[in-house]
Amino acid sequence: MRSTWKQLWPPLVAVIFLLTGWQLAVSLFHVEAWILPSPTDIIREFNANATGIWVHTLATLRLTLIGFPIGTAVGLIIALLLHLLPWTRRAFYPLLILSQNVPSIALAPLLVIWFGFGLLPKIILITLVCFFPVAVATMSGLAQSDGIMLNYMKMAGAGKWQIFTKLELPSSLPSLFSGVKISATYAVMGAVVAEWIGADKGIGYYMLLQKSAYHTDRMFVAIVIIVLLSLVLFAIIALLEKWLVRWKPRRNS
Amino acid sequence: MSEETQIQHSTTETPGSSQAVPAPPALEVKGISKAYTERRRVTSVLNNVSLKVEQQEFVSIVGPSGCGKSTLFHIIGGLEQPDAGTISMNGSLVTGQRGEISYMPQQPALFPWRTIEDNVLIAGEIKGVPQDQAREEARHWLAKVGLSGFERAYPHMLSGGMQQRAAFLRALLAPQELMLLDEPFSALDALTRSEMQRWLLELWEENRRSVLFITHNIEEALLLSNRIYVFSGRPGSVLHTVDIPFPRPRREEITDSPEFLLLKRQLSQWMREEQEKSATTKG
Repeated sequence: MRSTWKQLWPPLVAVIFLLTGWQLAVSLFHVEAWILPSPTDIIREFNANATGIWVHTLATLRLTLIGFPIGTAVGLIIALLLHLLPWTRRAFYPLLILSQNVPSIALAPLLVIWFGFGLLPKIILITLVCFFPVAVATMSGLAQSDGIMLNYMKMAGAGKWQIFTKLELPSSLPSLFSGVKISATYAVMGAVVAEWIGADKGIGYYMLLQKSAYHTDRMFVAIVIIVLLSLVLFAIIALLEKWLVRWKPRRNS
Repeated sequence: MSEETQIQHSTTETPGSSQAVPAPPALEVKGISKAYTERRRVTSVLNNVSLKVEQQEFVSIVGPSGCGKSTLFHIIGGLEQPDAGTISMNGSLVTGQRGEISYMPQQPALFPWRTIEDNVLIAGEIKGVPQDQAREEARHWLAKVGLSGFERAYPHMLSGGMQQRAAFLRALLAPQELMLLDEPFSALDALTRSEMQRWLLELWEENRRSVLFITHNIEEALLLSNRIYVFSGRPGSVLHTVDIPFPRPRREEITDSPEFLLLKRQLSQWMREEQEKSATTKG
Protein backbone atom coordinates (compact mmCIF):
# COMPACT_ATOMS: atom_id res chain seq x y z
CA MET A 1 0.00 0.00 0.00
CA ARG A 2 2.77 2.40 0.98
CA SER A 3 4.73 1.60 -2.16
CA THR A 4 1.70 2.25 -4.40
CA TRP A 5 1.34 5.63 -2.75
CA LYS A 6 5.05 6.28 -3.25
CA GLN A 7 4.68 5.55 -6.97
CA LEU A 8 1.50 7.56 -7.29
CA TRP A 9 2.27 10.86 -5.63
CA PRO A 10 4.87 12.35 -8.03
CA PRO A 11 2.62 12.26 -11.14
CA LEU A 12 -0.37 13.37 -9.03
CA VAL A 13 1.52 16.39 -7.72
CA ALA A 14 2.69 17.19 -11.26
CA VAL A 15 -0.86 17.09 -12.62
CA ILE A 16 -2.20 19.23 -9.78
CA PHE A 17 0.62 21.70 -10.33
CA LEU A 18 -0.15 21.90 -14.05
CA LEU A 19 -3.90 22.37 -13.49
CA THR A 20 -3.29 25.10 -10.92
CA GLY A 21 -0.96 26.91 -13.31
CA TRP A 22 -3.53 26.66 -16.07
CA GLN A 23 -6.31 27.95 -13.82
CA LEU A 24 -4.20 30.86 -12.60
CA ALA A 25 -3.01 31.76 -16.11
CA VAL A 26 -6.55 31.86 -17.49
CA SER A 27 -7.85 34.12 -14.74
CA LEU A 28 -4.71 36.30 -14.54
CA PHE A 29 -4.51 37.02 -18.26
CA HIS A 30 -8.29 37.14 -18.75
CA VAL A 31 -8.26 34.53 -21.52
CA GLU A 32 -11.67 34.22 -23.19
CA ALA A 33 -13.44 30.94 -22.45
CA TRP A 34 -13.97 30.20 -26.18
CA ILE A 35 -10.20 30.28 -26.68
CA LEU A 36 -9.09 28.44 -23.58
CA PRO A 37 -11.50 27.50 -20.81
CA SER A 38 -10.13 27.04 -17.29
CA PRO A 39 -10.14 23.60 -15.63
CA THR A 40 -13.04 24.64 -13.39
CA ASP A 41 -15.01 25.72 -16.47
CA ILE A 42 -14.41 22.31 -17.99
CA ILE A 43 -15.51 20.50 -14.85
CA ARG A 44 -18.63 22.63 -14.65
CA GLU A 45 -19.47 21.89 -18.27
CA PHE A 46 -18.79 18.22 -17.72
CA ASN A 47 -21.27 18.08 -14.82
CA ALA A 48 -23.90 20.04 -16.69
CA ASN A 49 -23.63 17.94 -19.80
CA ALA A 50 -22.98 14.53 -18.28
CA THR A 51 -26.13 12.77 -19.49
CA GLY A 52 -25.83 14.17 -23.02
CA ILE A 53 -22.26 13.08 -23.41
CA TRP A 54 -22.79 9.63 -21.94
CA VAL A 55 -24.39 8.34 -25.16
CA HIS A 56 -21.38 9.48 -27.15
CA THR A 57 -18.92 7.99 -24.67
CA LEU A 58 -20.68 4.63 -24.86
CA ALA A 59 -20.62 4.72 -28.66
CA THR A 60 -16.87 5.40 -28.73
CA LEU A 61 -16.25 2.79 -26.07
CA ARG A 62 -18.18 0.24 -28.07
CA LEU A 63 -16.23 1.05 -31.22
CA THR A 64 -12.94 0.82 -29.33
CA LEU A 65 -13.85 -2.47 -27.71
CA ILE A 66 -14.62 -3.98 -31.10
CA GLY A 67 -11.69 -2.47 -32.97
CA PHE A 68 -8.92 -2.90 -30.40
CA PRO A 69 -9.18 -6.70 -29.99
CA ILE A 70 -9.41 -7.12 -33.75
CA GLY A 71 -6.39 -4.88 -34.30
CA THR A 72 -4.40 -6.69 -31.60
CA ALA A 73 -5.35 -10.08 -33.01
CA VAL A 74 -4.31 -9.02 -36.52
CA GLY A 75 -0.99 -7.76 -35.11
CA LEU A 76 -0.40 -11.05 -33.29
CA ILE A 77 -1.28 -13.16 -36.31
CA ILE A 78 1.06 -11.14 -38.53
CA ALA A 79 3.87 -11.43 -35.97
CA LEU A 80 3.46 -15.20 -35.62
CA LEU A 81 3.26 -15.72 -39.36
CA LEU A 82 6.30 -13.59 -40.12
CA HIS A 83 8.24 -15.28 -37.34
CA LEU A 84 7.39 -18.86 -38.24
CA LEU A 85 7.87 -18.40 -41.98
CA PRO A 86 11.08 -16.42 -42.47
CA TRP A 87 10.46 -15.84 -46.20
CA THR A 88 7.20 -14.02 -45.43
CA ARG A 89 9.19 -11.80 -43.12
CA ARG A 90 11.55 -10.78 -45.90
CA ALA A 91 8.63 -10.21 -48.26
CA PHE A 92 6.22 -8.34 -46.02
CA TYR A 93 8.25 -6.48 -43.44
CA PRO A 94 8.89 -3.46 -45.71
CA LEU A 95 5.18 -3.36 -46.57
CA LEU A 96 4.39 -3.37 -42.88
CA ILE A 97 6.47 -0.26 -42.32
CA LEU A 98 5.01 1.33 -45.43
CA SER A 99 1.51 0.83 -44.04
CA GLN A 100 2.48 3.09 -41.13
CA ASN A 101 3.78 5.84 -43.37
CA VAL A 102 0.31 6.47 -44.76
CA PRO A 103 -1.40 8.87 -42.34
CA SER A 104 -4.69 7.46 -41.05
CA ILE A 105 -6.40 10.83 -41.54
CA ALA A 106 -5.63 10.60 -45.25
CA LEU A 107 -6.82 7.02 -45.42
CA ALA A 108 -10.12 7.67 -43.66
CA PRO A 109 -12.00 9.34 -46.56
CA LEU A 110 -10.88 6.55 -48.90
CA LEU A 111 -12.21 3.94 -46.52
CA VAL A 112 -15.55 5.74 -46.51
CA ILE A 113 -15.64 5.70 -50.31
CA TRP A 114 -14.89 1.99 -50.39
CA PHE A 115 -16.88 0.74 -47.41
CA GLY A 116 -19.55 3.38 -46.72
CA PHE A 117 -20.45 4.92 -43.36
CA GLY A 118 -21.06 1.73 -41.43
CA LEU A 119 -19.01 -0.06 -38.81
CA LEU A 120 -16.60 -1.71 -41.22
CA PRO A 121 -14.45 1.27 -42.34
CA LYS A 122 -14.13 2.38 -38.71
CA ILE A 123 -12.96 -1.05 -37.60
CA ILE A 124 -10.49 -1.14 -40.47
CA LEU A 125 -9.10 2.23 -39.43
CA ILE A 126 -8.66 1.20 -35.79
CA THR A 127 -7.08 -2.05 -36.89
CA LEU A 128 -4.62 -0.17 -39.08
CA VAL A 129 -3.56 1.97 -36.13
CA CYS A 130 -3.46 -0.88 -33.61
CA PHE A 131 -1.86 -3.82 -35.34
CA PHE A 132 1.56 -2.31 -35.97
CA PRO A 133 2.89 -1.81 -32.43
CA VAL A 134 1.69 -5.29 -31.48
CA ALA A 135 3.21 -6.91 -34.55
CA VAL A 136 6.61 -5.23 -34.25
CA ALA A 137 6.95 -5.70 -30.48
CA THR A 138 5.87 -9.34 -30.64
CA MET A 139 8.24 -10.10 -33.49
CA SER A 140 11.22 -8.65 -31.69
CA GLY A 141 10.16 -10.50 -28.53
CA LEU A 142 9.96 -13.80 -30.41
CA ALA A 143 13.40 -13.29 -31.93
CA GLN A 144 15.08 -12.48 -28.63
CA SER A 145 14.75 -15.69 -26.69
CA ASP A 146 17.70 -16.73 -24.56
CA GLY A 147 20.49 -18.50 -26.49
CA ILE A 148 21.41 -20.92 -23.69
CA MET A 149 17.80 -21.99 -23.24
CA LEU A 150 17.51 -22.40 -27.00
CA ASN A 151 20.58 -24.66 -27.02
CA TYR A 152 19.15 -26.59 -24.10
CA MET A 153 15.87 -27.15 -25.96
CA LYS A 154 17.67 -28.27 -29.11
CA MET A 155 19.94 -30.71 -27.29
CA ALA A 156 16.93 -32.10 -25.46
CA GLY A 157 15.53 -32.89 -28.91
CA ALA A 158 12.85 -30.20 -29.13
CA GLY A 159 11.41 -29.56 -32.59
CA LYS A 160 10.62 -26.18 -34.11
CA TRP A 161 7.08 -26.14 -32.82
CA GLN A 162 8.09 -27.12 -29.28
CA ILE A 163 10.75 -24.43 -29.28
CA PHE A 164 8.09 -21.97 -30.38
CA THR A 165 5.45 -22.89 -27.81
CA LYS A 166 7.68 -23.67 -24.86
CA LEU A 167 10.40 -21.04 -25.29
CA GLU A 168 9.82 -18.29 -27.84
CA LEU A 169 6.18 -17.56 -27.12
CA PRO A 170 6.46 -17.32 -23.32
CA SER A 171 9.66 -15.30 -23.49
CA SER A 172 8.05 -12.86 -25.93
CA LEU A 173 5.18 -12.07 -23.55
CA PRO A 174 6.73 -9.02 -21.84
CA SER A 175 7.53 -7.34 -25.13
CA LEU A 176 4.19 -8.44 -26.62
CA PHE A 177 2.49 -6.62 -23.77
CA SER A 178 4.42 -3.42 -24.29
CA GLY A 179 3.13 -3.46 -27.86
CA VAL A 180 -0.44 -4.11 -26.73
CA LYS A 181 -0.19 -1.25 -24.22
CA ILE A 182 0.81 1.18 -26.95
CA SER A 183 -2.02 -0.12 -29.12
CA ALA A 184 -4.49 0.36 -26.28
CA THR A 185 -3.76 4.08 -26.20
CA TYR A 186 -3.86 4.29 -29.99
CA ALA A 187 -7.18 2.44 -30.15
CA VAL A 188 -9.26 5.19 -28.54
CA MET A 189 -7.59 7.77 -30.74
CA GLY A 190 -8.29 5.61 -33.79
CA ALA A 191 -11.95 5.33 -32.79
CA VAL A 192 -12.27 9.12 -32.47
CA VAL A 193 -10.66 9.72 -35.86
CA ALA A 194 -12.95 7.06 -37.33
CA GLU A 195 -15.94 8.94 -35.96
CA TRP A 196 -14.74 12.16 -37.58
CA ILE A 197 -15.13 10.66 -41.00
CA GLY A 198 -18.76 9.79 -40.66
CA ALA A 199 -20.85 8.92 -37.64
CA ASP A 200 -23.99 10.09 -35.94
CA LYS A 201 -22.76 9.54 -32.42
CA GLY A 202 -19.51 9.08 -30.51
CA ILE A 203 -16.95 11.39 -28.97
CA GLY A 204 -15.42 12.16 -32.37
CA TYR A 205 -18.82 13.20 -33.73
CA TYR A 206 -19.45 15.24 -30.56
CA MET A 207 -16.14 17.05 -31.01
CA LEU A 208 -16.98 18.06 -34.59
CA LEU A 209 -20.36 19.30 -33.44
CA GLN A 210 -18.90 21.42 -30.63
CA LYS A 211 -16.12 22.74 -32.82
CA SER A 212 -18.54 24.24 -35.28
CA ALA A 213 -20.33 25.92 -32.37
CA TYR A 214 -17.07 27.24 -30.83
CA HIS A 215 -17.88 25.32 -27.66
CA THR A 216 -14.25 25.09 -26.61
CA ASP A 217 -15.10 23.95 -23.11
CA ARG A 218 -17.02 20.99 -24.50
CA MET A 219 -14.11 20.16 -26.76
CA PHE A 220 -12.02 19.88 -23.64
CA VAL A 221 -14.65 17.70 -22.00
CA ALA A 222 -14.32 15.39 -24.99
CA ILE A 223 -10.54 15.37 -24.65
CA VAL A 224 -10.82 14.50 -20.96
CA ILE A 225 -13.11 11.61 -21.81
CA ILE A 226 -10.70 10.35 -24.49
CA VAL A 227 -7.85 10.49 -21.99
CA LEU A 228 -9.87 8.69 -19.35
CA LEU A 229 -10.94 5.96 -21.78
CA SER A 230 -7.32 5.44 -22.88
CA LEU A 231 -6.15 5.28 -19.29
CA VAL A 232 -8.76 2.72 -18.31
CA LEU A 233 -7.95 0.53 -21.30
CA PHE A 234 -4.25 0.84 -20.54
CA ALA A 235 -4.80 -0.07 -16.91
CA ILE A 236 -6.79 -3.17 -17.86
CA ILE A 237 -3.99 -4.34 -20.15
CA ALA A 238 -1.40 -3.59 -17.47
CA LEU A 239 -3.36 -5.70 -14.98
CA LEU A 240 -3.65 -8.53 -17.48
CA GLU A 241 0.09 -8.34 -18.02
CA LYS A 242 0.79 -8.43 -14.31
CA TRP A 243 -1.26 -11.59 -14.04
CA LEU A 244 0.13 -13.34 -17.13
CA VAL A 245 3.76 -12.36 -16.59
CA ARG A 246 3.69 -12.95 -12.83
CA TRP A 247 6.82 -15.11 -13.12
CA LYS A 248 8.91 -12.06 -13.84
CA PRO A 249 10.99 -10.71 -10.97
CA ARG A 250 9.99 -7.26 -9.80
CA ARG A 251 12.57 -4.69 -10.64
CA ASN A 252 12.65 -2.96 -7.27
CA SER A 253 12.91 -6.03 -5.07
CA MET B 1 19.98 -63.12 -0.11
CA SER B 2 23.22 -63.69 -1.91
CA GLU B 3 21.30 -65.13 -4.82
CA GLU B 4 19.19 -62.03 -5.05
CA THR B 5 22.19 -59.76 -5.24
CA GLN B 6 23.63 -62.08 -7.82
CA ILE B 7 20.54 -61.63 -10.00
CA GLN B 8 20.53 -57.89 -9.58
CA HIS B 9 24.16 -57.88 -10.44
CA SER B 10 23.59 -59.85 -13.60
CA THR B 11 21.35 -57.17 -15.07
CA THR B 12 24.18 -54.69 -15.22
CA GLU B 13 27.08 -56.96 -16.03
CA THR B 14 26.42 -59.92 -18.22
CA PRO B 15 27.93 -62.98 -16.51
CA GLY B 16 29.41 -66.19 -17.88
CA SER B 17 30.01 -66.79 -21.52
CA SER B 18 28.78 -63.41 -22.77
CA GLN B 19 31.28 -61.60 -20.57
CA ALA B 20 33.55 -61.53 -23.59
CA VAL B 21 31.20 -58.92 -25.08
CA PRO B 22 31.10 -56.01 -22.61
CA ALA B 23 28.31 -53.47 -22.74
CA PRO B 24 29.11 -50.77 -25.29
CA PRO B 25 30.23 -47.48 -23.76
CA ALA B 26 27.59 -44.91 -22.95
CA LEU B 27 29.49 -42.47 -25.12
CA GLU B 28 32.30 -42.93 -27.56
CA VAL B 29 33.84 -39.93 -29.27
CA LYS B 30 36.12 -40.95 -32.13
CA GLY B 31 38.51 -38.68 -33.97
CA ILE B 32 36.41 -35.52 -33.79
CA SER B 33 37.84 -32.47 -35.57
CA LYS B 34 36.19 -29.14 -36.07
CA ALA B 35 37.32 -25.87 -37.62
CA TYR B 36 35.55 -22.59 -38.22
CA THR B 37 36.09 -20.37 -41.21
CA GLU B 38 35.72 -16.70 -40.54
CA ARG B 39 36.67 -14.17 -43.19
CA ARG B 40 38.70 -16.79 -45.03
CA ARG B 41 40.72 -17.54 -41.91
CA VAL B 42 40.42 -21.09 -40.77
CA THR B 43 40.56 -21.61 -37.00
CA SER B 44 40.91 -25.17 -35.88
CA VAL B 45 39.01 -25.68 -32.62
CA LEU B 46 39.14 -29.44 -32.07
CA ASN B 47 41.80 -31.73 -33.42
CA ASN B 48 41.26 -35.47 -33.51
CA VAL B 49 39.58 -35.79 -30.12
CA SER B 50 38.71 -39.28 -28.93
CA LEU B 51 37.30 -40.16 -25.53
CA LYS B 52 35.01 -42.64 -23.90
CA VAL B 53 32.47 -42.75 -21.11
CA GLU B 54 31.73 -46.30 -20.01
CA GLN B 55 28.35 -47.22 -18.54
CA GLN B 56 27.89 -45.61 -15.12
CA GLU B 57 31.16 -43.82 -15.28
CA PHE B 58 31.93 -40.25 -14.23
CA VAL B 59 34.39 -38.74 -16.69
CA SER B 60 35.79 -35.21 -16.62
CA ILE B 61 37.41 -32.95 -19.15
CA VAL B 62 39.80 -30.30 -17.85
CA GLY B 63 41.66 -27.85 -20.02
CA PRO B 64 42.63 -24.23 -20.46
CA SER B 65 39.95 -21.79 -21.54
CA GLY B 66 39.34 -21.85 -25.27
CA CYS B 67 40.23 -25.52 -25.60
CA GLY B 68 37.00 -26.21 -27.48
CA LYS B 69 35.19 -27.97 -24.68
CA SER B 70 31.95 -26.20 -25.38
CA THR B 71 32.24 -26.95 -29.09
CA LEU B 72 32.74 -30.60 -28.23
CA PHE B 73 29.56 -30.53 -26.14
CA HIS B 74 27.68 -28.91 -28.98
CA ILE B 75 28.86 -31.64 -31.31
CA ILE B 76 27.92 -34.41 -28.88
CA GLY B 77 24.54 -32.73 -28.36
CA GLY B 78 23.95 -32.57 -32.11
CA LEU B 79 23.91 -28.78 -32.35
CA GLU B 80 26.89 -28.82 -34.70
CA GLN B 81 28.29 -31.27 -37.21
CA PRO B 82 31.93 -32.28 -36.83
CA ASP B 83 34.26 -31.94 -39.82
CA ALA B 84 35.57 -35.42 -39.11
CA GLY B 85 34.90 -38.18 -36.61
CA THR B 86 31.92 -39.93 -35.11
CA ILE B 87 29.83 -39.95 -31.95
CA SER B 88 28.35 -43.23 -30.74
CA MET B 89 26.13 -43.87 -27.76
CA ASN B 90 25.45 -47.35 -26.43
CA GLY B 91 26.94 -48.79 -29.57
CA SER B 92 24.87 -46.90 -32.13
CA LEU B 93 26.06 -44.07 -34.26
CA VAL B 94 24.40 -40.75 -33.34
CA THR B 95 26.65 -38.13 -34.96
CA GLY B 96 24.68 -34.91 -35.40
CA GLN B 97 21.53 -36.29 -33.76
CA ARG B 98 19.69 -34.25 -31.16
CA GLY B 99 17.74 -35.43 -28.17
CA GLU B 100 20.18 -38.18 -27.19
CA ILE B 101 21.76 -36.55 -24.15
CA SER B 102 20.72 -34.78 -20.99
CA TYR B 103 22.42 -31.43 -20.78
CA MET B 104 23.17 -29.11 -17.88
CA PRO B 105 24.48 -25.73 -19.04
CA GLN B 106 26.88 -23.41 -17.24
CA GLN B 107 24.12 -21.07 -16.13
CA PRO B 108 21.09 -22.74 -14.61
CA ALA B 109 19.00 -21.50 -17.60
CA LEU B 110 15.77 -22.47 -15.87
CA PHE B 111 12.69 -21.28 -17.74
CA PRO B 112 11.56 -18.25 -15.73
CA TRP B 113 7.86 -18.73 -16.57
CA ARG B 114 7.81 -22.30 -15.32
CA THR B 115 7.58 -23.35 -11.71
CA ILE B 116 10.54 -25.32 -10.37
CA GLU B 117 8.57 -28.54 -10.69
CA ASP B 118 7.62 -27.82 -14.31
CA ASN B 119 11.21 -26.86 -15.07
CA VAL B 120 12.49 -30.15 -13.73
CA LEU B 121 9.98 -32.02 -15.87
CA ILE B 122 10.65 -30.29 -19.18
CA ALA B 123 13.08 -32.81 -20.67
CA GLY B 124 10.53 -35.60 -20.36
CA GLU B 125 7.84 -33.30 -21.69
CA ILE B 126 9.90 -32.59 -24.81
CA LYS B 127 10.45 -36.30 -25.36
CA GLY B 128 6.75 -36.98 -24.90
CA VAL B 129 7.14 -39.13 -21.79
CA PRO B 130 3.89 -39.47 -19.76
CA GLN B 131 4.04 -36.87 -17.01
CA ASP B 132 1.91 -38.22 -14.15
CA GLN B 133 4.48 -40.61 -12.80
CA ALA B 134 7.32 -38.24 -13.61
CA ARG B 135 5.63 -35.53 -11.55
CA GLU B 136 5.55 -37.76 -8.51
CA GLU B 137 9.17 -38.67 -8.99
CA ALA B 138 10.09 -35.00 -9.41
CA ARG B 139 8.40 -34.13 -6.11
CA HIS B 140 10.23 -36.92 -4.38
CA TRP B 141 13.55 -35.70 -5.77
CA LEU B 142 12.91 -32.04 -5.08
CA ALA B 143 12.40 -32.94 -1.44
CA LYS B 144 15.56 -35.00 -1.52
CA VAL B 145 17.72 -32.14 -2.77
CA GLY B 146 16.32 -29.69 -0.26
CA LEU B 147 13.88 -27.92 -2.52
CA SER B 148 10.64 -29.05 -0.92
CA GLY B 149 8.29 -26.13 -0.51
CA PHE B 150 9.66 -24.61 -3.70
CA GLU B 151 7.81 -26.89 -6.16
CA ARG B 152 5.45 -24.08 -7.16
CA ALA B 153 8.01 -21.26 -6.87
CA TYR B 154 9.42 -19.46 -9.87
CA PRO B 155 13.18 -19.66 -10.50
CA HIS B 156 13.92 -16.03 -9.58
CA MET B 157 12.75 -16.71 -6.04
CA LEU B 158 15.61 -19.18 -5.51
CA SER B 159 19.24 -18.55 -4.61
CA GLY B 160 22.00 -19.35 -7.12
CA GLY B 161 22.87 -22.66 -5.45
CA MET B 162 19.24 -23.72 -5.30
CA GLN B 163 18.72 -22.83 -8.97
CA GLN B 164 21.75 -24.93 -9.84
CA ARG B 165 20.39 -27.85 -7.87
CA ALA B 166 17.11 -27.55 -9.76
CA ALA B 167 18.99 -27.42 -13.06
CA PHE B 168 20.93 -30.52 -12.04
CA LEU B 169 17.72 -32.29 -11.14
CA ARG B 170 16.31 -31.36 -14.55
CA ALA B 171 19.30 -33.11 -16.13
CA LEU B 172 19.08 -36.06 -13.75
CA LEU B 173 15.38 -36.70 -14.37
CA ALA B 174 15.70 -36.41 -18.13
CA PRO B 175 14.86 -39.62 -19.98
CA GLN B 176 18.29 -39.72 -21.63
CA GLU B 177 20.91 -41.87 -19.90
CA LEU B 178 24.05 -39.84 -20.54
CA MET B 179 24.47 -36.52 -18.72
CA LEU B 180 26.63 -33.71 -20.03
CA LEU B 181 27.51 -31.18 -17.33
CA ASP B 182 29.13 -28.03 -18.67
CA GLU B 183 31.02 -26.30 -15.83
CA PRO B 184 27.90 -26.43 -13.71
CA PHE B 185 29.42 -24.77 -10.65
CA SER B 186 31.54 -22.06 -12.24
CA ALA B 187 29.06 -19.29 -11.51
CA LEU B 188 28.84 -20.09 -7.79
CA ASP B 189 30.87 -18.69 -4.92
CA ALA B 190 33.59 -20.87 -3.41
CA LEU B 191 31.61 -21.97 -0.37
CA THR B 192 28.48 -22.89 -2.32
CA ARG B 193 30.68 -24.56 -4.87
CA SER B 194 32.35 -26.98 -2.46
CA GLU B 195 28.99 -27.70 -0.92
CA MET B 196 27.58 -28.51 -4.35
CA GLN B 197 30.56 -30.76 -5.13
CA ARG B 198 29.93 -32.79 -2.02
CA TRP B 199 26.26 -32.91 -2.84
CA LEU B 200 26.88 -34.05 -6.41
CA LEU B 201 29.36 -36.71 -5.27
CA GLU B 202 26.87 -38.21 -2.85
CA LEU B 203 24.01 -38.04 -5.29
CA TRP B 204 25.98 -39.59 -8.10
CA GLU B 205 27.32 -42.47 -6.03
CA GLU B 206 23.79 -43.26 -4.96
CA ASN B 207 22.35 -43.00 -8.43
CA ARG B 208 25.09 -43.87 -10.90
CA ARG B 209 24.58 -42.35 -14.28
CA SER B 210 27.03 -41.98 -17.11
CA VAL B 211 28.38 -38.45 -16.83
CA LEU B 212 30.67 -36.30 -18.92
CA PHE B 213 31.73 -33.31 -16.89
CA ILE B 214 33.56 -30.18 -18.02
CA THR B 215 35.41 -28.14 -15.43
CA HIS B 216 38.30 -25.75 -14.91
CA ASN B 217 38.67 -26.90 -11.37
CA ILE B 218 41.20 -29.73 -11.00
CA GLU B 219 40.27 -30.58 -7.44
CA GLU B 220 36.63 -30.87 -8.44
CA ALA B 221 37.54 -33.22 -11.29
CA LEU B 222 39.76 -35.38 -9.06
CA LEU B 223 37.14 -35.66 -6.36
CA LEU B 224 34.31 -36.68 -8.65
CA SER B 225 35.77 -38.59 -11.60
CA ASN B 226 36.70 -42.12 -12.57
CA ARG B 227 38.81 -40.71 -15.36
CA ILE B 228 40.05 -37.30 -16.44
CA TYR B 229 40.92 -36.15 -19.93
CA VAL B 230 43.37 -33.26 -19.93
CA PHE B 231 42.86 -31.08 -23.00
CA SER B 232 45.46 -28.96 -24.75
CA GLY B 233 44.92 -25.34 -25.67
CA ARG B 234 43.45 -24.43 -29.06
CA PRO B 235 43.07 -26.50 -31.14
CA GLY B 236 41.81 -28.78 -28.39
CA SER B 237 43.05 -32.33 -28.29
CA VAL B 238 43.47 -34.95 -25.59
CA LEU B 239 46.91 -34.51 -23.99
CA HIS B 240 46.68 -36.95 -21.13
CA THR B 241 44.24 -39.52 -19.89
CA VAL B 242 44.35 -40.03 -16.14
CA ASP B 243 42.52 -42.83 -14.34
CA ILE B 244 41.65 -41.83 -10.81
CA PRO B 245 42.30 -44.72 -8.45
CA PHE B 246 40.37 -43.65 -5.34
CA PRO B 247 37.75 -46.19 -4.31
CA ARG B 248 34.06 -45.42 -3.98
CA PRO B 249 32.25 -44.23 -2.05
CA ARG B 250 34.57 -41.26 -1.79
CA ARG B 251 34.42 -38.63 0.85
CA GLU B 252 35.83 -35.17 0.78
CA GLU B 253 38.64 -36.25 3.13
CA ILE B 254 40.52 -37.83 0.24
CA THR B 255 41.44 -34.34 -0.91
CA ASP B 256 43.99 -34.32 1.96
CA SER B 257 45.62 -37.63 1.05
CA PRO B 258 49.16 -37.59 -0.40
CA GLU B 259 48.09 -39.42 -3.58
CA PHE B 260 45.41 -36.83 -4.23
CA LEU B 261 47.84 -33.97 -3.74
CA LEU B 262 50.37 -35.63 -6.04
CA LEU B 263 47.80 -36.03 -8.80
CA LYS B 264 46.62 -32.52 -8.26
CA ARG B 265 50.16 -31.18 -8.58
CA GLN B 266 50.72 -33.16 -11.78
CA LEU B 267 47.49 -32.01 -13.40
CA SER B 268 48.05 -28.41 -12.33
CA GLN B 269 51.46 -28.46 -13.92
CA TRP B 270 50.08 -29.76 -17.23
CA MET B 271 47.38 -27.14 -17.18
CA ARG B 272 49.86 -24.38 -16.41
CA GLU B 273 52.08 -25.45 -19.28
CA GLU B 274 49.14 -25.44 -21.66
CA GLN B 275 47.95 -22.08 -20.44
CA GLU B 276 51.43 -20.62 -20.97
CA LYS B 277 51.71 -22.18 -24.40
CA SER B 278 48.40 -20.74 -25.56
CA ALA B 279 49.35 -17.38 -24.04
CA THR B 280 52.61 -17.25 -26.02
CA THR B 281 51.00 -18.31 -29.29
CA LYS B 282 48.33 -15.66 -28.85
CA GLY B 283 50.79 -12.91 -27.97
